[in-house]
Amino acid sequence: GGNGDEEAGDDDGDNGDDGAEVEHEWDFITEETPGQVQHEYGLEFAERLEEKSEGSIEVNVHEFGGLGDEVDQLEQLQTGQVEMGIVSPGFTGPIVPEAQVFSLHYLFPNDQETVQEILTESEAINEHLRSNYEEQGFTPLSFWTEGAMAWTSNTELTSPDDFDGFLMRTQESPLMLESYEAYGANPTPMSWGDLYTGLEQGQVEGQENPIFFIEDASFHEVQDYLIISDHNNYVATTSVNNDWFDSLDEDLQEMIEETVEEMQDVAFELQEELNESHLEEIEENEEYPTEVIELSEEERDEFRELAEPVREFFREEEGDDAGMILDMLEEEIEEMS
Amino acid sequence: MVTTLVLVMVIFLLLGFPMMIPLVLGPLVLAIFFLPQDPYIMTQQMIGGISSEVLFAVPLFIFAADIMTSGRTSERLLDFVGAFVGHLRGGYAITTAAACTLFGSISGSTQATVVAIGKPMRERLLRVGYKDSTALALIINASDVALLIPPSIGFIIYALFANASVGQLFLAGIGPGVLVFLCFAGYAYIHARVFDIPLADKVLWKNRLNITWKALFPLGFPVIIVGGIYGGVFTPIEAAGISVLYALILELLIFRSMSIFRIPSIALSTGLVTSAVFILVASGQAFAWAINVAGLPQMIVDTFFGGDPTALYVLFMVAIFFFIGCMFVDPIVVIMILTPIFVPVAEQAGVDPIHMGVVVVFQAALGSATPPFGVDIFTASAVFNRSYLDVIRGTPPFIIIMVIVSILVIVFEEISLFYRYLPF
Amino acid sequence: MNGIKAIGASIVKVLRFLDRLLMRTEEFILSFAIIIIFIMVSGNALSRYLLGTSWAFSSEIALWCVYFATFMGVSYVARQGRHLTMSAFFDIAPYPIRKTLAILIPFGTALVLFVLTYYSIEYVVSQYETGRTTTALRMPYWWVVAPVPVGLFLGGLQFIRNMIVNLVNKDVYIATEQKDRQRGELEEEMPKI
Ligand code: NA
Ligand code: NA
Repeated sequence: GGNGDEEAGDDDGDNGDDGAEVEHEWDFITEETPGQVQHEYGLEFAERLEEKSEGSIEVNVHEFGGLGDEVDQLEQLQTGQVEMGIVSPGFTGPIVPEAQVFSLHYLFPNDQETVQEILTESEAINEHLRSNYEEQGFTPLSFWTEGAMAWTSNTELTSPDDFDGFLMRTQESPLMLESYEAYGANPTPMSWGDLYTGLEQGQVEGQENPIFFIEDASFHEVQDYLIISDHNNYVATTSVNNDWFDSLDEDLQEMIEETVEEMQDVAFELQEELNESHLEEIEENEEYPTEVIELSEEERDEFRELAEPVREFFREEEGDDAGMILDMLEEEIEEMS
Repeated sequence: MVTTLVLVMVIFLLLGFPMMIPLVLGPLVLAIFFLPQDPYIMTQQMIGGISSEVLFAVPLFIFAADIMTSGRTSERLLDFVGAFVGHLRGGYAITTAAACTLFGSISGSTQATVVAIGKPMRERLLRVGYKDSTALALIINASDVALLIPPSIGFIIYALFANASVGQLFLAGIGPGVLVFLCFAGYAYIHARVFDIPLADKVLWKNRLNITWKALFPLGFPVIIVGGIYGGVFTPIEAAGISVLYALILELLIFRSMSIFRIPSIALSTGLVTSAVFILVASGQAFAWAINVAGLPQMIVDTFFGGDPTALYVLFMVAIFFFIGCMFVDPIVVIMILTPIFVPVAEQAGVDPIHMGVVVVFQAALGSATPPFGVDIFTASAVFNRSYLDVIRGTPPFIIIMVIVSILVIVFEEISLFYRYLPF
Repeated sequence: MNGIKAIGASIVKVLRFLDRLLMRTEEFILSFAIIIIFIMVSGNALSRYLLGTSWAFSSEIALWCVYFATFMGVSYVARQGRHLTMSAFFDIAPYPIRKTLAILIPFGTALVLFVLTYYSIEYVVSQYETGRTTTALRMPYWWVVAPVPVGLFLGGLQFIRNMIVNLVNKDVYIATEQKDRQRGELEEEMPKI
């Protein structure tokens, strides 16, 4: 796939400004479209690598759909058809069940800065969970947040009672179903392509997504409330194919790792900016008014209490290392927040 | 390289190879000899092409239609329609167009519409004296208009890639959709006059009541589907499943027109058609992948959008490329691949993103009923067991109408954006 | 001599039996794939509406059936001569050209299908190696995609048969179960193979 920014890259080449020959051309996949967090991340990442290598590295950033859907892309990364990219646990669920830890409700603190810090520092995540990925042919060099998840609905969802019999759209993951059943809801799997119409016509009554995606997919147009629940975070990983990465010279590996590290702060700012501006757009949209509600700490506690037992489900169902990783992560979160 | 690819494709197509061959051969050769990717991605892409839940509706509506036409339901429904429109000039054809437009908008699948409405209506059109080519052309073209009438998956996909409002796009599709329907209805009326399609006698109200009574159970079919979807009881895909259930209840329990042991053989004929069509949907995805990886879309932008193009120029080029794309590949795939490429160009030229969305989806609708490749042509050919040429023979008048309307939609943005001029 | 003839006849008998068996299997798979899609989709809708619980597995199973129907159907559709073609040129061509095409087309098609089979096997193996499973049922994903190479391979075999039918018979056959209509009415008699 291509985009305006690639064109700009081509122009540089034509003018011969940088002089250097392109020695490495790598593909970088994302699960999102231009303007969204992952794609912006990819472009910034590409630019930094090109700069550092003085033009000898060219990274082609692909938007969602260009090389197939998320699952296709994941396969391409696993098998080395593409060198690197951003993948999120929602789509690695079946191969790295332990990564479902990010789907648990109210495990992480509310504050996004602390979340990002935990994702960056945690040993449970960056060593143990990482090695679960490595067995699948690719390695996450970093974990980062794209923002907290929010609910949308046509009724106020401020206590678990409001979820009684509520038709909540989820992905097909058993853990996500379990999480909403714990509140008494009727979780209903539905693909996002059907979701707008499903919400409009009432086949489902609510859904969860990060705020920037809610605005981009226009879900707020057919919903009356946006509930800032921060029940979990949309976590992404910057991943590389194992065989390809191992075959690189050490200095190239270091250059990539260093850039990935720098990107943690960039990614944080990107998502913060995007989520804030999209939240503003939702609030200021007069054609499709939406009331924004932020859950109070007491309200969160009610949900937190019901979400706690789902951790047992995670320990038992989501892979051999699930229990170990969760125990360790719980401790680390305790320390860091 | 791209020229060779297209040339090979056309030659194999014209020689009479099964259509999946011209679609997969080019990508296969590209993948094996030219692309850096491993050729087995072809398989991944083919599977991906049929991995959408929306596609469930296709075999299910075929299955329901097969059950109803084997039994009594469809006959009684058509008697009912005939009793009210049979005596009107072009009555059956206009009813067909209306039914396709409405049903398509609800089911969200143009292919499912070709089957669900086309299957029973075609028989009746033939019986009252329409040529088969006209009947088939009417069915496939009217079904496509459904992409414009909300809810439409085409607009939803476009909206995400163009960051436009789905609600506004839905509104904007109505004007062009209704305009096309009116043009088709007008054409059907003139056609019936020119070819002197015989009129049935006007049915007396006493008989109408009798026929309506007999059609009471079959009339539950549209009620359940339309009511079920708009009432939020089930999704369009589920409605397809429920319509099979309803057809089974009617034929097995109420009319007792068949034994349950006939169901597997009806399902077999449904499976045959499903396979024939889906293998092409799968192959089309592989084709789209190869074209994309070979960098054709970017080449198009670089070649045709240099300098400072005007909004009108951009819209016409967008229309042309979407039209061509949809002639070969499933419209949804085309929207996914081309939208992100054209959006920045259009933004720069000051094109209204909602207007552009309507132009894009309009072309997708037009393209899927246009030879050489078109999913609706495949579907009609498989479902009605008619040769490819038989299916497309009657399409030119409809395509000419669509092209004219599409030029109007491009030039007069008021047709799409009418809602902005309304006082409320 | 009679002995050899008898052996030959019984080999043909066995082959014909195997062929019918394969055809019945294909029919069974196609037919039940559709029925299961129906059960999954309508069952899920009813369950959610009446009982308030969704079947998380319904679309996974239905999708699997779509793969079965699509790819295992390639061979059955070929047998019935129902693959979609643009037959305009074929239909008007004189007998020698039509006969040549009737041999070349199935041959070329079979070749492409066999190449695709090869890469599909590679794909299935790659899925086996990653150990990927489906989301709801945690079914090994390679099971899900296994119908692809099997279907494509059987499809290739069927096109080879369509070619042989045209080699050994004088008439033009679209498929083993369907004679070209242009040369008069469809005969009752089945082609010899
Ligand atoms: Na709203
Ligand atoms: Na077409």
